[in-house]
Amino acid sequence: MIKNIKYIISKDINPYRNLALEEYLLETVDEETCILYLWQNKHTVVIGKNQNPWKECKVKELERSGGSLARRLSGGGAVYHDLGNLNFTILLNKKNYDLNKQLDIIIKALKLLNINAVFTGRNDITVDSKKFSGNAFYTKAQNSYHHGTILINVDIVNLSKYLNVAQDKLKSKGVKSVKSRVTNLIDYSHDLTIDLMKIKLIEAFSMVYGLKAEEIEDEFIEENRIVDLYDKFSSWDWKYGRKIEFQHSINKRYKWGNIDLNLSINEGRIKECIIYSDAMEVDLIEKLSNVLLNCVYSSKKMIEAIEKLKETNNEYLDIIQEIQSLIEEI
Amino acid sequence: MNKTYYTRTHEWVEFISESKARVGLTDFAQESMGDLVFINLPEVDDEVIVDESFADVESVKAVEDVLSPLTGIVSAINDDLLDTPELINQEPYEAWLVEIDNITEKGELLDEDEYKKVLSEEE
Repeated sequence: MIKNIKYIISKDINPYRNLALEEYLLETVDEETCILYLWQNKHTVVIGKNQNPWKECKVKELERSGGSLARRLSGGGAVYHDLGNLNFTILLNKKNYDLNKQLDIIIKALKLLNINAVFTGRNDITVDSKKFSGNAFYTKAQNSYHHGTILINVDIVNLSKYLNVAQDKLKSKGVKSVKSRVTNLIDYSHDLTIDLMKIKLIEAFSMVYGLKAEEIEDEFIEENRIVDLYDKFSSWDWKYGRKIEFQHSINKRYKWGNIDLNLSINEGRIKECIIYSDAMEVDLIEKLSNVLLNCVYSSKKMIEAIEKLKETNNEYLDIIQEIQSLIEEI
Repeated sequence: MNKTYYTRTHEWVEFISESKARVGLTDFAQESMGDLVFINLPEVDDEVIVDESFADVESVKAVEDVLSPLTGIVSAINDDLLDTPELINQEPYEAWLVEIDNITEKGELLDEDEYKKVLSEEE
């Protein structure tokens, strides 16, 4: 039974810090409490627990533009966050879990803003059949969370820019994203701001549970634990190094012949590398494949690995250079 | 026939010998999660610890951690599940997740009647 409801608004816009606080709240929420956590990330793509970052997001372009890639604990697909988006997380004991009641917080908050929203099949909340909120869930031991995005005034150009990956040459295991028609709530309520949305969510939270929502004070947050969780969420292992196997084939035809690179990647590293080319000696192909084996799957690391070959293979400098430019595009 | 036990968190444990057992998810667990789309399993030789998470399963947008009922060493994993996690939905008591050897500790294990009682309280 829920006897207390509490809310907390993150003061940070760093995705790893926000995900750390979310997991901390999940670990600490007690049996009689329901927490509403509101948070925002700056310029970030957040992928589901079991997704391949390279398959779901233009990792390189995102990083070049100063964006972050983050992996959450819940399932589902990739989403784009910026400061026009507000995230909510409802955390409680599994026994108190009630999806419809939790959704009612969002639906009621929007009603207070004269927006008619509905919950649909794939755990989306829509207005006029257009999605503005994607919801996902995570359970560990006795506690669960239900979280989601609320698109208020997100840069839609960026949203499609970083999430649209047309890599038919990349075959991957893992969970695939489902594309949806999305909309910003600002189109339905012109004066809507993030701050107003927060106020209405907290108001609706109290209405749904019939209790007064109290704010969680900073001093109840154990900073040491947050730091540990932050380290996890921001680590290379968590973001890229998970056990999701995939194959990437890259090929190009040059006037001097063709190159066909076939990489198998797992835990973020090249585990197998098969190269076909009619322009290189078997010997060079073998060396190339050897330097790429076990290399981290990033164009920077791969180019560095290949660079070593230049010293001993003077006659193939041009070809090596071409292969490096080909890899640059990964 | 080997004896099967259950946990309050809806895993089943079938002992092959005194110190070796297979672990899976109960019918109730698969039913409440819905269609599974992905599973993460540990690796052979990994250590698992009572009440600590050793795997997770994903259904539509929901991830749930699986807690270990035993402390021991993973001696085999059910590879088939990595490509076809839906086997858990189809045959939950056939679709074992891992085999645990060198068991040194057991969590709270319930027999069938005790587990039925837990289920009736859940509903």
